[in-house]
Amino acid sequence: MTGRLPRGVDLLLRRLLPGDLADPIAGDLLEEYLVARDRRGDLRATAWVWAEALRLAALFRWERVACGRGVPPIAEELRAVTGFSDDLRRDVMFSARMLRRQPGFTLVALVALALGIGANTAVFSVVDAVLWRPLPFPDAGRAMQLAEQRPRESRWFGPVAPADFFDWQRDTRSFASLAAWSFSSPSGAYNLTGAGEPERIQPLKASPSFLAVLGLRPALGRDFRPEEEIVGRHRVVLLSDGFWRRRFGGDRAVLGRTVAFDGHPFEIVGVLPAAFWWPTHPDVVVPLALSGEDKALRGAHFLNVVGRLRDGVSPAQARDDLGLIGARLAQRYPAENANHAPNLRPLREALVGDVRQALLVLLGAVAFVMLIACANVATLLLARAASRRQELSVRRAVGASRRRIAQQMLTESVVVAFLGGAAGVLVAAGALAAFRRIAPVQFAGLPGVERAGIDVRVLLAAVLFSAITAAIFGIAPALISSDAGLGAALADATRSSSAGVRAQRLRSALVVIELALSIVLLVGAALLIVSFRNVLSVSPGFQPSQLVIARISLPAARYGEHGRVVAFFDALYDRLRGAAGVEHVAATTSLPFDGLDSRLDLRIENRDDEFPFPIRADPRLVSTDYFRTMGIPLIRGRIFSDRDAESSPNVVVVNEAAARRYWAGRDPIGRRISLGARNDWRQIVGIVGDTRHEGLDADAEPAAFLPQQQRFTSLGAGFERTVTLILRTDRDSATVTPALRAAVASVDAELPVGLLRPMDDVIGESVAPRRLNFLLVSAFAAIAMGLTATGLYGVMAYLVAQRTREIGVRMALGASRPAVLLMMLREAGAMTATGIAVGLAGARALSRFLATLLFGVSATEPMIYVAVALLLAAVALVAVLVPSSRATRVDPLVVLRES
Amino acid sequence: MPVPEVSILGEFEQVVLLAILRLGSDAYAVSIRDEILECTGRDVARGSIYITLDRLETKGYLRSRLADPTPERGGRAKRYYALRPKAVEALKESRRALVALWRGLDGVLA
Repeated sequence: MTGRLPRGVDLLLRRLLPGDLADPIAGDLLEEYLVARDRRGDLRATAWVWAEALRLAALFRWERVACGRGVPPIAEELRAVTGFSDDLRRDVMFSARMLRRQPGFTLVALVALALGIGANTAVFSVVDAVLWRPLPFPDAGRAMQLAEQRPRESRWFGPVAPADFFDWQRDTRSFASLAAWSFSSPSGAYNLTGAGEPERIQPLKASPSFLAVLGLRPALGRDFRPEEEIVGRHRVVLLSDGFWRRRFGGDRAVLGRTVAFDGHPFEIVGVLPAAFWWPTHPDVVVPLALSGEDKALRGAHFLNVVGRLRDGVSPAQARDDLGLIGARLAQRYPAENANHAPNLRPLREALVGDVRQALLVLLGAVAFVMLIACANVATLLLARAASRRQELSVRRAVGASRRRIAQQMLTESVVVAFLGGAAGVLVAAGALAAFRRIAPVQFAGLPGVERAGIDVRVLLAAVLFSAITAAIFGIAPALISSDAGLGAALADATRSSSAGVRAQRLRSALVVIELALSIVLLVGAALLIVSFRNVLSVSPGFQPSQLVIARISLPAARYGEHGRVVAFFDALYDRLRGAAGVEHVAATTSLPFDGLDSRLDLRIENRDDEFPFPIRADPRLVSTDYFRTMGIPLIRGRIFSDRDAESSPNVVVVNEAAARRYWAGRDPIGRRISLGARNDWRQIVGIVGDTRHEGLDADAEPAAFLPQQQRFTSLGAGFERTVTLILRTDRDSATVTPALRAAVASVDAELPVGLLRPMDDVIGESVAPRRLNFLLVSAFAAIAMGLTATGLYGVMAYLVAQRTREIGVRMALGASRPAVLLMMLREAGAMTATGIAVGLAGARALSRFLATLLFGVSATEPMIYVAVALLLAAVALVAVLVPSSRATRVDPLVVLRES
Repeated sequence: MPVPEVSILGEFEQVVLLAILRLGSDAYAVSIRDEILECTGRDVARGSIYITLDRLETKGYLRSRLADPTPERGGRAKRYYALRPKAVEALKESRRALVALWRGLDGVLA
């Protein structure tokens, strides 16, 4: 009959009974326990043995008191029951004492870790919110973006023509529902009148099935009905939760009430759930109602399409299904649909877009910072362990096991890591607050970015980061220093032991790692900085300084006729030309750097055969003075004048990109083109310089400028009513504002003026993501370089301190200071050169991940690599020279006497 | 508190010492307790046995030795007890005192 006592009983007896009795008593109890177990069952035997053990423990304690023998405090005895946690507690207390006693070490380690863990935590919280958490829709994985791909134009997810959308909607078998929504730039805002102050609000125009695609239902009231996408029955609106609370105080009786948008009454039929989120942050959702004519458009691409996959249908199956539909359409409508095909991707990818790559690069950068911080702290720990070698040797000599010492060293690392982690969470919270202030406006369209913050997941991540850092920087030093030989206590500390050699090798390896990681980060930062500078040095094709822009949207109710629109703008230009500080005034339907253009199919008279595939151009309605106001140069021909009125022949001005692409080697002037695949012929009268439109880093696309006075309906009647006013002024935007508002009010008192700002800001905003990218990566690179310099300095200072006597001897024997310095530099030089070489190779390998974020510079630009290597070599030189030169200044006599 | 050279043994101390004597070389806590139960019908608490053994050893009445650990006890040693001469003396003295006290009382307590 063999067996064991219950673990707790065993422990209890061992801890609480007198040492010499514990074992035999435990043996006796086991004998009886086993008998009891056989006779009375496991449970009763266990209960019995516990009761007996406790009784014995109490009795012996009492006995000791009664006999006047010393007893340990009861608290200690109870703790003693769990021996490991007692060791742990002692180690933690000991670590805290050590950290307090070495404030220098503690500070450097904590700062390094706080920066490393803090940066990781902050970036993790953003990446987690944007890339990893599910979109705020039920079963969001089945929501897809559908788009048109035009491989010939390298556009993979372009907007969709209405006729194509309705064909897809009718023919698809893969989607439970499809919905279109129209891109709503800030200029597409509604003027809300009627209930209180006039206000510009953001609408989202979407098919009635839109909410169903997202898997949502209104929180209040009803969803749109299918027939509400018919013009005339579309005057219904769903309010966003935020708008409902702000404008209507969350009044539930709001259903059935009417609000006026752009002068038209809309009935409030419902309120969206508070969780509703869409990248354009709409205040209201209204049905996308297209006229019969617009629904038939195949040459005008301006709809965005989302769809919900049917249950059991995979994206690949849906792609095949769409491909078939696309092929049928291309066959039936070759003029419009040749060479483009439907495409789809998960909605999240569509919403996150290019930011994904930038975020992943940042995540990589902060991971490097954390690794450098770890390497840094590890070198510090190693140096410290070396200075404690005697202490550790003594402890081993008096019986501490290697495991026990390693455990204690590791505990110190964990304590440091978690203190650093706590500080890191504070750093992260501060960084996130700062990030929210400087985040570019483009980030507002990212899912979840407003939720990025310190929450449970992020805290868990911080704890994980701390644990990982502790493991990375703590384990090797703990193993090496616990290996201190028993004899080392008696040996001279400066003499090398095997542990000392290994520690030195590890220290060098750590410095090499730090240098290499720093190089990678610095190369990345340098590439991004150069890209940013390159982007900024790109001319937008016009003079942005001293331009102020404002948005005007004329309500259809009062400006339904083309003549009234023309009259309004004529009157407004007249007023503004006379205003103080206004040099030029102009208007356009699509301002550069302000969202995407609507592209229209382009026909060139008598040249249909030359282009078997649709060719396209961006139509822009502009006022007569547009080119002069913007400072866009005329290349050939003429620009618009007041003679280009509604009654005169239709004219058009094209940009150089169009002339290059469609009239290569020929003269477009005098030719006629039609936009929007109808016979709407216009004569080309001039060629103007290209302007960058979608960003400084995007090449100019072919564009066709049309005079505002002449009627143009290919993009619907509303196209001409939403324009951006442009003022060239010698004053700042704030002083022009009153004059502009007064001028608009004097023409139409009920018209709000939206978004008044300098053009420079608009361009600045367009490069903001790039700026943020390079700022963040540069900041991380700077931190990395600082940490690396500190690490290198620390290691060299340690080496120098260990060799002070040798240096003293050398100098006493006549070595010159430079010779000694050179000797130290050689040691450091090998480490530095290795680190830089490894780093350059790593940077070269990793630079391809940056490629999409670069502009005007190759990811392998040798100059950058050389510059970064030199910079780091210089930093390393300083970090080595300072401690080394200090060593050469010591008096050899003093050193020799000391030894 | 100094322990007197030879003191009067307590009643339970006598019981334990006598049990050890009876067991000879096989006297350890469990067997002692069993022996007491068998001879006197008293189910003694284990703690009392251990405490008493501890006290008797401290007072110099007992000596103990640890036997080799055995597997059936989970590798734990048994502590065997044996009487020192002093204990035998004390037992004799106790019996003498008791017998002296009993003498003449047979009529009363019969």
